[in-house]
This record gives sequence, C-alpha cells and structure tokens, in this order.
Amino acid sequence: MLPDDLTARGPVLPGAGARGVPRPRLPLRRPERGRWVGGVALGLAAHLGVPTALVRFLFVLLAPVAGVGLALYGFLWLAVPAGDPADAARAARPSALTRLARRQSAAEPTRRLPLTDIAVGVVLVLAAVVLIAVRSGADVDVGWLLPALIVLVGLALAWSQLDAAQRDRWRARTGGRMPVSVVRLLGGVLLAGSGVLLLVAESAGRGVAPAELVQAVVAAVAVLVGVGLVLAPWWLRLVRELGDERAARARESERADIAAHLHDSVLQTLALIRARADEPAEVARMARAQERELREWLYADRPAPGTSIAAALRAIVAEVEDSRSGPQGEPVAIETVVVGDRQPDADTEALLQATREALVNAVVHGRPPVSLYLEAGADGVEVFVRDHGDGFDVDGIGPDRFGVRESIIGRMRRRGGAATVTCRPGRGTEVHLAFAGRGEEGRPEGTPPEEAGRPAAAGAAPEDAGRPGAGDRPPEGTDRSPGEPPEAEQRRVVAPEVEQRRWVAAPAAEPRRGAAEGEGHR
Amino acid sequence: MSETAAEGGPGGRDGGPGGQDSVGGAPVDVVLVDDHHLFRTGVRASLDARVRVVGEAADVDEAVRVVHELTPPVVLLDVHLPGGDGGGGAEVIRSCADLLGRTRFLALSVSDAAEDVVAVIRAGARGYVTKAIDGTALSDAVLRVAGGDAVFSPRLAGFVLDAFGAAAGDVATGDDELDRLSAREREVMRLIARGYSYREVAAELFISIKTVETHVSAVLRKLQLSSRHELTRWAAARRLL
Repeated sequence: MLPDDLTARGPVLPGAGARGVPRPRLPLRRPERGRWVGGVALGLAAHLGVPTALVRFLFVLLAPVAGVGLALYGFLWLAVPAGDPADAARAARPSALTRLARRQSAAEPTRRLPLTDIAVGVVLVLAAVVLIAVRSGADVDVGWLLPALIVLVGLALAWSQLDAAQRDRWRARTGGRMPVSVVRLLGGVLLAGSGVLLLVAESAGRGVAPAELVQAVVAAVAVLVGVGLVLAPWWLRLVRELGDERAARARESERADIAAHLHDSVLQTLALIRARADEPAEVARMARAQERELREWLYADRPAPGTSIAAALRAIVAEVEDSRSGPQGEPVAIETVVVGDRQPDADTEALLQATREALVNAVVHGRPPVSLYLEAGADGVEVFVRDHGDGFDVDGIGPDRFGVRESIIGRMRRRGGAATVTCRPGRGTEVHLAFAGRGEEGRPEGTPPEEAGRPAAAGAAPEDAGRPGAGDRPPEGTDRSPGEPPEAEQRRVVAPEVEQRRWVAAPAAEPRRGAAEGEGHR
Repeated sequence: MSETAAEGGPGGRDGGPGGQDSVGGAPVDVVLVDDHHLFRTGVRASLDARVRVVGEAADVDEAVRVVHELTPPVVLLDVHLPGGDGGGGAEVIRSCADLLGRTRFLALSVSDAAEDVVAVIRAGARGYVTKAIDGTALSDAVLRVAGGDAVFSPRLAGFVLDAFGAAAGDVATGDDELDRLSAREREVMRLIARGYSYREVAAELFISIKTVETHVSAVLRKLQLSSRHELTRWAAARRLL
C-alpha cells in the first residue's frame, strides 16, 4: 500500500520552487513507513526517483549473482541512516523559509519488524539443526563452525551500536563512566579477533609447513579485515553524529532568530493595541495584520521571492487589507484560497494588478465577506473576486470612471486575457479574471510580447507610483468614485496611447470580449 | 449532467427544506474539544439556541473519555490537541472509531496547513471550519454535520482541488474512481472555494441543495478513502496556502 507513494510522483520536496523549477533530489534515508525489510529499496527509489518495485526487483535479481544484491543491501542497510526522506529534505531547508508550526502527519503508527528477535530465533534454529545433525551422525565440521559463529557474533555486537546510537548516548549520559558502546566495541574486537585466530589456527594445524609464511600473512590480513569491519560502524557513527550536531546547532540559532522576530512583532502590536484601545476599527486592523504575519510564519512554506504567484497574491491581499476599509470605515478581511502555483511572468503581473483593483473595489464598495480564489496551472490562471454587495451596472459606469473599465477589464484585455464582472441582485458581485495558457494566442500577430507588454505597464505606472503611499490615503478615496482627481487625471493622460494599442489588439481579443460582455449583462 | 435537468428549476433556487433545518426542533448536543479555555467559552457563547454544549474536553485522553461517556451526535474538535500520542484531533477520532456511526466530528482549526486539516478529515471528520467562523455559521455547520452531511469551508475546498490535481484538469470519468474528482464535483468544489454557500452553489448550477450535499459527501468520501495515501505530503509539495 504505502511503498510506492514516495516515488510514484517522483521526488517531491515540500516547499521547493514553483512549477518549472527543478526539485532537488531527496536525501538517501531508510523510511520507517512502507518498508519491507530495512527500507533500503524504498529509500533508494525515493532518492533516485525511480519506482520502488524496480529497485526491489533489481535487488532480488542481483541476490543470486554471488550475493551482490545481498551484500549491497546489507551495506546500505548499515550505512544509510533511518528516517523519512521528505522530513530530512525539510530539515535541510533553511528555517527562514520553513514553517514553524509542527506538521501533523496523517500517518498511522508504524509497525517495525522485530529484527533482533528474528535474528536470535534464526541463530537458535540453526544451532538446533546443527545439534540434530551431529546427533544423527552427520559429519559436521565443528572446527570451522564455532570460530565462524564467534566472528559473526562479534560483528553483530559491533555493528549493533549503529542503530542503537540514540539509546547508547542516553545510557552513556545517565550511567557509569564507561559507555556501553566502548564495551561493545572492545567485545566485538576481542571476539572477532579470537575467531579469526582460531580459524587461522585451524587451517594451519592441517596445513603443511612450507605454507606457514603465506598463512601468517593471511592471518594478519584476516585480523586486519576483522578489526576494520568492527571499527567501521564506530567511525561511521562518529561522522554521522558530528554532522547531525552541526546541523542541529545551525537550526537552533536560526530558530532563535525567528522567535526573536516574532516576539518583537507580536509584543509591539499588543502595545499598540493597548494604546489605541478606543479605536475599534484600528485595533481590528492591527490584530488582523498581526494574525496574517503570524500565520505566514507558522503555516506557510515561504518560497523564495519571485517564484510564486501565490506569495505575490498574499502580499497584495495584505496590502489591501491594511490600507483599505469598508464603506463605514471598518476593516474587511479577505478570505483567500489559492489552488496550484506557478512562476510569475508579465501576464500574471497584469493579472495580479487587476486582482488588486478588483479587491479594492470589493472592499471599499462591496459588502463583506469578500472572497478571493486563485487557480493556477500549466494551462492558465484564473482569479475570482467576490463580495456580497449589490454590485453595479458595468454599462452604467461613466466614461470618466476608470477603476473597473481601465484597470481591470482594459488591463486584462490588453494582455489577451478575459475579464468579466457579474452582478446579480442578492447574490453579490463577482469579478472573474482569466489568462489561458501562456496567453500567446491572445496576443496580436506582429506585436512582440515585449511590445504588447508595454501598454499595460504604462497604464499601471501612475497608480503604482501612488501605491506605496496608499496606506496614508484617507479611506474615502476610492477608485470608483467620480470625484477622485489625482489618479483619474493621471490615467487620462496615458489613455490615448492605451486606447490605440487596444485597437491593435482588438481582432485577436474579439471573441473573448464578446463573451465577456455577454456575461456582464446578465 | 443528468441531475441538472431533473432537479433544476424552482426547487434548486431557494433550496427547499433540505440542509440546515433538517434536524427538527430539539437542540443538537455537542461536545467541545479544545485546549484553550478561553476559546471554548467563546464558542459556547456564540452558538445559538439550536445547539447545546453538553461536555467539554481539553486534551486527547479527556476527549476520548468524554466522547465515549456522552456519545453526542456532534463533536467540535480542535485539530491541535495536547496529550495522547501526540496525534491531536486525528488521534481522538481514531480512538473513537467505534462510535463513528453515532457520533460525527467537525474539525475546527486555526491552522492554515493542509496536512493538519487533511489528517483529521482522513481520520473520519465530517468537515472542517476555521475558528474565525461566526456563531450562526458554526451552528449551521453543526446542524449540517448532525444531519449526516459534510461541511466544506472554502479553504478545505481549495485543499481538495489541489490535492486531487483538479486544477490541472485531471478529472474522473467513471463514478467509482476514488483518486479523481468528477467534473461536477470539481465544479462544486470550485464554487465553494470561491466563497459560495451550498445554497448559492445550487442556484448557480441549477441543481437542488440536496444534490450539492450529495456531491460534497462524495468528495469527502474520496478524500477519506482515496488510495492517494500521501495526499497531504503531495499537497504540501504543491505548496498550498
């Protein structure tokens, strides 16, 4: 059931770049969940981004080939640390970009094979088989068997410290002066060494004298190999612990930075709220802004800037919530739902600007709740902005009012997108903005993309210039009210050029516009 | 699809008797599980007369005990809870699996994280609402859950669309497919994500509220049973809000 999930969708890394950005490989770990034996195949498949079944098949295929599969499996089992690859990848992310709240896993509790018990059982069964064989008169070469068993036990003792590293550390701290790992190591070395010696002695006893020199060399090498095998896990563990501790320290300090930042901002906001307790609207606004910031820190995987339109959209929502108020001066929360994500480009920039205008309209003139829905995929981006106000008549908007006509509908059409405003009495107003695909087909022939991008940018320029100060503007100043001299004035200056461009773009955009207006009349 | 023609018309417009008021006169008993006393008090005060709080619990173990003692029709359950094995709300639901026929769980969370929400839904919760919800809407949601329906907030609908890849046009063709949404279910989810109430969804699609509820329940079932075991991880990889 579980095994293939890690790999079926390829290596996934939470919070990696948006669509089109290559995701880094998952680190090599042996996952606890979904493993059959040691989790080697599962982890390897996740690391390489190939199906788990294939890796398992290869291991099985290689097993009879002089035991290569088994040896490889055993080596990886011992050398690869256990853990969830996705978690490891998450932990490797800089914590400035990681959410702080603990992730809750949907995982059912894991079931592990009682490997120690199985190993003991196998050894006992083997011993029993050997005993019975000896009793029934079979010629078992006990002289080889005993040393081999001793070597195996010694190796097992030495290697067992790898998986039990955590337990050992705990015991070494609470217990006596001599850590158990040292006992293990010494015991392992002793056992393995004596086993190897016994083996050599056995062969020497039967061998002929001239071969003694060779045998001595063989013995020495055997002892060295034995000791090396015994020491390897100890060395591996040392290296691993060092790396772990270093990473943990780096994470700790980063977390401390974040905590400091959070405390500062929250405490400051609380102080501000106390100072202005008699202004409910202001208090509500500050609380909302602080809540948003906290949520961002706690629950969002903060993407690198410029890689996510979802993040850009959140920034716009924050700006509108902070700077605009409803008709009675009350702050309005915008319920935001984002599905999918993609990298921003010139088209989505225009879309986001149009979205901002629609949000401002909904907050200032509509009635809460205001909902914002963005759906981004490879084949287009769609935005819905909805409020519960009575709406307005699109055709009734005077030519001198540029808010809806220019900055929403015009802006979208110039980029080859579609904008629709739907008002239905009692059911609120909904603005629908959409770009299909990369928007290529909506662009007029002979107009290079850069050229087509110009008018929108020019149209956006004046108000963008005014945007940083938007928070200082009185809430009554709106884009849709007739008496709003500065912005409207500025836009009119740009209008002729914009108008011209629109005629150029008209043929290609025609069908969409027709559809849009048909909807607008509904 | 077929139900559009069959159930469109006036019944679809104003919703009919189905939905919120289907549970008659007596108030619905509710157990409130949240580790913040202040929040429990707030919720109790905001619920209207249609809902009665009969018990409260502050952690996983207490919640399991209280729910087993009272077997209320609805449990309002916080996603993040201390105690138990650290599994939070999902652990409470799993521990009360023997009651799932009689007791229904409505998840209540301040979290924006898809994993948290999807974890409780997959454990068996019948819906999810944010803690910012007002009292009337919460009471509506409780009644809806008590009536056996699913409650989807816009955000949960967004998670679902993202998790099932519905945004990419990945739409089921057969009814029995668990891993993908049907075109109609996707449409309903999108409208809910856009802030439409069930009633408004019904009006928009010219279907009855009952049909909307059927679709939503079907989506909930898919979310709970889908073999996309790692829905949450997958959703996280797609970087939801």
